[in-house]
Amino acid sequence: MTYRGSLGHKINGALLGLGMSIGLLVAPAAQAQTPPAEPRQEVMLEASTGAKLGIAVASAQAPALPEAKARGEFQDVLVKDLDEAGPFTVIRGALPAGTDPASYKGWVEAGTEWLLTTTINRTADGGVEVVAQVVDVKAAQDKKARIAVFSKRYTGREPALRHIAHKLADDLVSRLTGEQGVASTSMVFVRQLSPGIKEIYQMDRDGANVVPLTSYRSLTLSPTVAPDGRVAYVTYKGGAPEIWGQRTAGGPHMRLYPVASKTESHCFCPVWSPDGKRLALVEGDRRGNTDIVVLELGTGKVRRITDSNCINTDPSWNPAGTQLAFTSDREGSPQIYLMEEDGSNVRRLTREGVYNGSPAWSPSGSMVAYVSRFEGKFDLFVYKLGDGKSYQITTGVASSESPSWSPDERRIVFTSGSRGGMQLYTTDLSGNTLSKLTEFDGCQSPKWTRTR
Amino acid sequence: MRFVRNLIPLSVILTMGIGVACTKPEAAPAEAPKPAAPAGPSQADLDAQKKAADDAAKRKAESEAEAEAARKAASAAQAEKAASYQRAVQAALKDINFEFDKSDIREVDKAKLQAVADFLKAYPQAKLQIAGNCDERGTVEYNLALGERRAHAGQAYLVGLGVAQDRLTTISYGKEKPKVTGHDEESWLANRRDEFILQ
Repeated sequence: MTYRGSLGHKINGALLGLGMSIGLLVAPAAQAQTPPAEPRQEVMLEASTGAKLGIAVASAQAPALPEAKARGEFQDVLVKDLDEAGPFTVIRGALPAGTDPASYKGWVEAGTEWLLTTTINRTADGGVEVVAQVVDVKAAQDKKARIAVFSKRYTGREPALRHIAHKLADDLVSRLTGEQGVASTSMVFVRQLSPGIKEIYQMDRDGANVVPLTSYRSLTLSPTVAPDGRVAYVTYKGGAPEIWGQRTAGGPHMRLYPVASKTESHCFCPVWSPDGKRLALVEGDRRGNTDIVVLELGTGKVRRITDSNCINTDPSWNPAGTQLAFTSDREGSPQIYLMEEDGSNVRRLTREGVYNGSPAWSPSGSMVAYVSRFEGKFDLFVYKLGDGKSYQITTGVASSESPSWSPDERRIVFTSGSRGGMQLYTTDLSGNTLSKLTEFDGCQSPKWTRTR
Repeated sequence: MRFVRNLIPLSVILTMGIGVACTKPEAAPAEAPKPAAPAGPSQADLDAQKKAADDAAKRKAESEAEAEAARKAASAAQAEKAASYQRAVQAALKDINFEFDKSDIREVDKAKLQAVADFLKAYPQAKLQIAGNCDERGTVEYNLALGERRAHAGQAYLVGLGVAQDRLTTISYGKEKPKVTGHDEESWLANRRDEFILQ
């Protein structure tokens, strides 16, 4: 059965740790007066329900910076991050002008629980400093003793203002839920520069700072990013498609497979194992079939783990690195299958639809995102393992393809567009909060990574 | 292109011929006057000398014209042969197309594949790369695999017609190199194809 609708996503054991002070560099007076023995308060969140914490972001005080700069490179970036983070609702509308205790009543009436104030200053060495503080104005209204819940000072060179905003958003998510946020993450993807010329690019999660990782002036496809940031991909730069990438973090790009050049081997779809030591990839045989093989980078050893008279492609590791999801047409049409990493215990996952592909195993291992084709276009679906159910995430006139999970499992990045003009978007699992990342066509195969 | 390479020896020989013709007149002055008598050359000597020079110039002009004509004829023959080869390539190497998500050779394309096989028989030096392609409607990765299968389907059919397998390499571009940019049934059919590319 396939259900249209929101995918309830529970953050288990999320803690609103009122007594925590991890990462606090500046301790305001109010915090110092707090009794240390206050018990922790447990908070459960449903990301796609209304149970979100209302946070208001007061205008950044930036006397030394032009207002447009402070707003464009910090305030707006921060608000967007908090909007997309999941556990917050950013309070908007008619808000009080001040942030002093006399104004708390007004903030609370607007729906605010946390009031975030920031001050941006220039530092003596020419950099920038951001001091961020959060006051629990609701607690203050209720006359609770402890109202300061977060305070931290960030510094960096001036172009880092955006990155400080991302770091602050991640810290607030961590303060609320105990989990690492994803505002500071990035996307690695393929971008077409001209017909037949595609290169690997990387950009911030919000679409800023687009930089090329390859410049082969060739067809370069299917990037994958290891936990330490090493990229691998397919490139046709030597004629036949080969796997290229990095053996060491930050190191040079070189051919990874096939080991010898000038073989007749055709290789596609490399995917780093979660430990970054192996690459699952797809290799064509002499009869036009494609199989999934696993390459051990350290030894150069290669194991073929599918061997059938058909197409096997799109490998995706489970987080433990013990199983793989993949696409095969072994039963006549493209469908998603699961197997152990030695190729045993193959079982079919998708039962509906005539064309399912692009499986992406979720970071917790509990879900597999994929695409399903209907009436000439693709939509995103999520299969919940254990439930045996699929949930449709996107619906629309455009075709949505190539899902990749955010590291916190709250969102999915994918390509969407019609008539060939594919751009990058993210969505939450309800499909309700879409965010467009790019302003250029010709994007494909995004991969969401913590590394930058 | 192998045909062009075969012509190189011929043009080398022609160039050498021109070289020989050119050296003759330069030998002429050596036949001319013996060491001059103190009184200087007679009128008869001068006349003979002038005649020899004129003859040499005439011979040179004639042999240059002959060489030029030969070169033009060879060049025309070469151009004609290259043009006929190009016509054969154009006539024989036509794309074949596929149904959606299929790699079976269609009945209507079998004559095209026969023409490819006939071309390869007529030009035993020719080698082809078969490039399998897909329309835009599948996923990127699945289409790369499907393009592999289409390229190999074309290769297997040609091998069945008697073409040596080592003259046929394959490659898949998936949906990455569409032939036409439209987004309708006609464009999709044109893009689901094997291309035959001379190596």
